Order: sequence, then C-alpha cells, then structure tokens
Amino acid sequence: MRILIMGCGRVGAGLATRLTDEGHEVTVLDTDAFAFRRLLPNFAGRRLVGSGTDDRMLIDAGIAETDCFIALASGDNRNILASQKAKEIYGVKTVVTRVKDPLRSEMFARLGIHTFSPTKVGVTLAHDAIFQGE
Amino acid sequence: MYIIVVGGGSVGHGLALELQQMPDHEVTIVEVNSARAAQLRAELGEMVVHGDGSEIAFLDGVGAGRADLIIALTADDGANLVACQVSKHWFNVKRTIARVNDPRNEALFLRLGVDSIVSASGAVMAQIEATLPEHTIIPLMALEGSRLHVVDIRVQQGSPAAGRALRDLQFPPEVLVSVIIGKQGARVPDGDSVLQVGDEVIAVIPRESDAAVRSMIAGPVEGA
Repeated sequence: MRILIMGCGRVGAGLATRLTDEGHEVTVLDTDAFAFRRLLPNFAGRRLVGSGTDDRMLIDAGIAETDCFIALASGDNRNILASQKAKEIYGVKTVVTRVKDPLRSEMFARLGIHTFSPTKVGVTLAHDAIFQGE
Repeated sequence: MYIIVVGGGSVGHGLALELQQMPDHEVTIVEVNSARAAQLRAELGEMVVHGDGSEIAFLDGVGAGRADLIIALTADDGANLVACQVSKHWFNVKRTIARVNDPRNEALFLRLGVDSIVSASGAVMAQIEATLPEHTIIPLMALEGSRLHVVDIRVQQGSPAAGRALRDLQFPPEVLVSVIIGKQGARVPDGDSVLQVGDEVIAVIPRESDAAVRSMIAGPVEGA
C-alpha cells in the first residue's frame, strides 16, 4: 500500500518504520526536519518537510496515488482539516485521524471520518490497570 | 440574535466594535490567547471570553446551543473550519461563516457545510486596490455562482463618460449601473442621469468587462 503519514512525532515515526518493515511504500511529512530524527535507522521510506494542510505539499507528496492517509500532527484541527481534504478533494480511500479531544473525535467519527482519541484510549488503559486482578 | 465570534484578532476586534453598536444582538468574542483576551476584555468588557472556539465543551459553556450565528475569523484555517463544523453538527447553529486564509481551502469549506466564506486574500486585494489611485475599479462583492461582481468606480478627469448621459454610453453587455454617489448623495440612475467628474459609480458587471468599464467610466489609466 502507498501510505502518507502527516506528523513525525513518536507515534508517526514508530508507525512509519513499522509500515516500511512490512513492505509498504511510506512517505512521512513534517513541518520540522528535526522531527525525522525519531525515525529508526531501518526506516526505508521517504521524508518530506512541509505541512499536511498545504495542497501543494500534498500534491508533491503524491496524495493522488495514495491509498491511505494518516493524520498524526500535534494539533487536532490541523489533522481534521488535512484528513477532510484528503478524503473529499483527493479521494483517498482510507483516512485515519488522531483527535486528542474525545468529544471532537466522536463528532468527526459521526461525520464519517475514522478518528481515534489517544486521550480516551489512555483513560481506559489507566482505569483498567488500576482494577486489574480485582 | 445571539452571535459568537471566534478569533479576536484585528478582523474580529473590528467586527466586535460594529456589532456592539447594534443593541438587538448579543455577542460573545472568543479568543484563545490569554494575553490578547485580557487586552480585549479591558476594552470591550464581558463579551470577551478566553478559550478555544473549536472545543465542544468550551463552546457549550458560552451557549453555542442557543447561538443563531457563528463567525470564525482566526488566522488558522483548521480552527475556523472545525469551529463551524462543530457549531453546525453538534450545536445545530443555523448559520456559520468562516474566514479562509488559504484561498485553496475555499471549495473545501463550502463543500463541508460552511454557509459563507470570507476570503482574507480577496479582502486584502480590495484594500490594496483601494489605495492605488490608478486602479480605479474596486471590487466590493463577488456574486457567487456567476461571473458577475459588484464594483465601485470613480469618474476621473479625462473620463469619456464625464458629462454624458448613461443612455449615450456604449457599455459592454450585462453591465448595470446601480447607484451613482455624487456631491448630493446617492441616487438610483435612469437613462438621463449624467455622470460628473468625482462621482462614484456602483455597478454590477461581468469580470471580463473590468478593463472596458474601467476605461469608459474612470478614464485612461495614468502612465499606462
């Protein structure tokens, strides 16, 4: 699969490396070139400096031929903007969006975007850890 | 009417001052930067609230559920889009208006249910044109879904139209002179109306006729 990842933080970098290990064609976008230090040495994909909300950047990154777009930038709104662009304007089939705010995540999921909220996941994991074994 | 304005930058501030003059409206200005919010609050009072206008819980707290109109004017297109989408889909706000900072986002915003967009670059262009004396045609408003726009043109020295009645002028097709603003104030013209140097003309014209109308009404461009 051709996969475009927006945001090279810990999650973006980890996911990118894992996906190239699995043989996928991966491009990682970040506004800060310094973020690419997080990619592991075995990362075999492409790295591009630029914003995932910028149409020129998306086109340069090959959004038109992308099978999957994953928005993992730090800002919820930027992720939501870029994802809706990928889906509505460029017709990307699979679009996944990280939205930290659980309510916003839920609302955009209702609008048909595949969102997940690390906040909600974290709360659940922490809660379950407390009562483990009870 | 209850209006929520998201973004207290220069555009939001200007709008807040306008809306304050209208006693029928209740207005809340939302500003995310705490220092800027404090500064606005000192000037405008309790209508200013510090918070994130794209966050559902916060919007709930400022009464988005009973808002009639939300206007998102921040410099961040993502924040403006999300503020409008959340207002529309979570709070059922009837009308949403967003400022678009990157003109390439215009189509996306309209497609995703933002009711109206204010294009920052369009407004800036109009400002620039207004300050250039040789550009004597000022676009006031685009009429969506057509090639037509509303323009403001000043009749200048040397204009071929000066001193002549409208009926004697050979305008390109689809040009409609709607209002003439002269020394005696604004008037709706008829065929006998005569244009004078210094008059301002508000007209609906097709974009492709800009140059033709400009040279007819405003006169020759200096140095061109």
